Amino acid sequence: MSAPALLSQDQTDALQEVTNIAMGQAGSSLANILGVFVNLSVPRIRVLDVVAIGAAISDMVGPDKEITAARQSFHGTMRGEALVIYDQEGCMDLADLMGYEEQLEASAERELILDVSNVLVGACLGGIADLLEATLTYSAPSIMAERIPVDRLIDPKKMTWNYALLVEVNFTLEERNFTSHLTFLMPEESIQSMGEAIDKFMESF
Amino acid sequence: MLIKSLPTEWDIEITQAANGLEALEGYRAGKAEIMFLDLTMPELDGYGVLEQLQKEGLNTFVIVVSADIQPIAQERVRKLGAVAFCKKPVNPQEIQAILKQYGIVL
Repeated sequence: MSAPALLSQDQTDALQEVTNIAMGQAGSSLANILGVFVNLSVPRIRVLDVVAIGAAISDMVGPDKEITAARQSFHGTMRGEALVIYDQEGCMDLADLMGYEEQLEASAERELILDVSNVLVGACLGGIADLLEATLTYSAPSIMAERIPVDRLIDPKKMTWNYALLVEVNFTLEERNFTSHLTFLMPEESIQSMGEAIDKFMESF
Repeated sequence: MLIKSLPTEWDIEITQAANGLEALEGYRAGKAEIMFLDLTMPELDGYGVLEQLQKEGLNTFVIVVSADIQPIAQERVRKLGAVAFCKKPVNPQEIQAILKQYGIVL
């Protein structure tokens, strides 16, 4: 079942550009933390039926990958969930990049993932909100899943929304395995608020 | 967004490209005296476009317009022959100043 056009093509293009700018800020923050150059992807924006979200995320990360994920919810002009998904190899690389020589204890690894996730979400979502003159508040990040197959991350039965806006941004590092996928999920009424904010933003040019 | 921030009095023909390969096609068709180049693009990214342009003589002024604000990104594109780097979102004054600096008057 395909999702209805909750955002027009123009709105989607504008959101892609806004996300691109915000992603640049998030990538720069990540580069500063890790001390390496971060490759940015072209952001992908889609409105999906919630039952399709799990498959979309599996596609993005790569099927059968083992992942660890952090989540952070946001409220305000728009509400939703930000998910930062790391493949397991990437998690090990993260510890190495941060200068830990030995394998991290689980609690230290979690903390590291939460810190990095918080920076990515804050910079990217904060950047989008700034450009769209939206006000957002964030909950503390938490670990959503640890070392699970990616196809088990999202349980559509637990989603109370019908449709969701899926914004995907990928960060990869040169000569490293580290990849993180940043996604934002927003319910219908927030997609509408997003659309209105985008319209205002476009009118300002 | 970029096109809208260009001064309206400019008498120029604008060709848009949805990705790096289209940008190269436009260049080969002689439509790019000045190229505003993004770095994150599908098919072929901005670095790839610059590399190919160098092989083909780089007969254009390339102004990179990117959200990638890492200093290394700026260094790399300059090494690849871009004359300037503008952070997104661009402002018209910045672009005018760059063009003036290179003696490009439109």
